[in-house]
Amino acid sequence: MILLENIKKNFGKLKVLKGVDLKVDEGEVVVIIGPSGSGKSTLLRCINFLETAEKGSRISIDGKVIHRQKNDINMLRRNVGMVFQHFNLFPHMTVLQNVMEGPTQVLHMKKDKARKQGIELLEKVGLADKHNAYPQMLSGGQKQRVAIARALSMNPQIMLFDEPTSALDPELVGEVIEVMADLAREGMTMIVVTHEMWFAKEAADRVCVMDDGLIIEEGTPEQIFDSPTTERAQQFLQKIVVN
Amino acid sequence: MEFLSTNILLSSSFIDWIVNINPSLFSMGESLKAIITRFPTFWKAGLITLQLTSAGILFGLLIGLLFGLMRVSEIKFMRYPAKAYIFLIRGTPLLLQLFIIYYGITSIITIRSFPSAVIALGIHNGAYIAEIFRGAIQSIDKGQMEAARSLGMSKTKAMERIIMPQAFKRAIPSLGNQFIIALKDSSLASTITISELLLRARQIGNTHFILMEMLIVVAIWYLILTSLFTYLIHRLEVHFKTS
Ligand SMILES: Nc1ncnc2c1ncn2[C@@H]1O[C@H](COP(=O)(O)OP(=O)(O)OP(=O)(O)O)[C@@H](O)[C@H]1O
Ligand SMILES: [Mg+2]
Repeated sequence: MILLENIKKNFGKLKVLKGVDLKVDEGEVVVIIGPSGSGKSTLLRCINFLETAEKGSRISIDGKVIHRQKNDINMLRRNVGMVFQHFNLFPHMTVLQNVMEGPTQVLHMKKDKARKQGIELLEKVGLADKHNAYPQMLSGGQKQRVAIARALSMNPQIMLFDEPTSALDPELVGEVIEVMADLAREGMTMIVVTHEMWFAKEAADRVCVMDDGLIIEEGTPEQIFDSPTTERAQQFLQKIVVN
Repeated sequence: MEFLSTNILLSSSFIDWIVNINPSLFSMGESLKAIITRFPTFWKAGLITLQLTSAGILFGLLIGLLFGLMRVSEIKFMRYPAKAYIFLIRGTPLLLQLFIIYYGITSIITIRSFPSAVIALGIHNGAYIAEIFRGAIQSIDKGQMEAARSLGMSKTKAMERIIMPQAFKRAIPSLGNQFIIALKDSSLASTITISELLLRARQIGNTHFILMEMLIVVAIWYLILTSLFTYLIHRLEVHFKTS
């Protein structure tokens, strides 16, 4: 369903992505792990054009290549939900308004319908009772669940998660991971950057290890966690297992 | 050297050159009476000051919003004119700008005194307000734009719905400050025959030999008006904080 071919990205002289290839099928959950600075966030950001990949990189959805023009990009973004490490909720809107904003403003959905859908989505992430609260009144875990509901409000085909739990207090990680695992179970196509091993083991169909701008190894969670083949992957996995 | 300078400073002719003490003309009772009885007669001048300031601020807000948005644009043809405008206006005195509009360009068009003052105040405050908006816009976390874009919003829509409402709220204290400066700066309009507070004070003061008293009267008027502004801005801040 989503196909990344030869994704390259430079920041000035710094080569951050050096030609990443990745294919994610419908309903597949792919977890990306790798050391800090290896380019995981940059890869996700390239997928929905928050960064523009270098010429020669190709991103296609359902066989259709996405070109670097406004229409293509805006269409792609509607189909790709993104959840950020720091939530990025809209602080001047209530929880429900956050979840209604995309549908009403971008899809021109009627307010009533958007509200109904918003409440349903908030129920799904267990926060329907908070719909009138403002983001600053919520805990980190609640904020991230609202952010997931907001991304889902566009009814995307694919969800991207960039370390969704790494800004959370440890006791709040579980509630967010649970919502993500539910999504995976429902068949959502997901690309998740995370170091939460149990999410990877529970929910991932495939784990990719990134290092220095490339995917150096990929396989089932068992393969990667129990018997990684490359030395770099072994080193990295040792570190996160120790932590 | 030291001996010489002390001597010059203490010489009576030098002190006479600086000040001329003349206590015989001063009567506390008379002055107080003049201040109290003349105070209400300034209401019309106060109204003119208020009208001048309000119109100038409104005009300034329009210009400031326009140039502020241009200033943060990614397009050079938008950004550079805004930069040039701010450079020119902030780098020259308001009084000079007022004279250029009222006296200077008369060879091309003649603008009556009141509109001249409104234009000068608007153009002048517009440059400062543009900078206030620029600062406020740039202070909004980059993640806000990214979250909006990831929902498929266009840049314009994201500015309108997500960035500007937050930036505006953040700009209110600085805007309030600027409005108070504009109120006091409106006194410069006295130099182009507008009967606002300061000019009236000088007219009445000179005809009745009570200049000091009338200057005190308008000082009180200015204090009342600035307090009113401060109060209104405070109310606005509270309103936005709770909404
Ligand atoms: N906008 C940018 N400008 C310049 N350099 C950048 C930019 N964004 C990322 N980089 C650099 O690109 C490299 C990869 O960054 P990236 O955020 O993709 O890594 P990451 O794998 O997500 O790391 P982490 O686990 O710390 O989040 C880093 O060296 C980073 O400094
Ligand atoms: Mg990252």
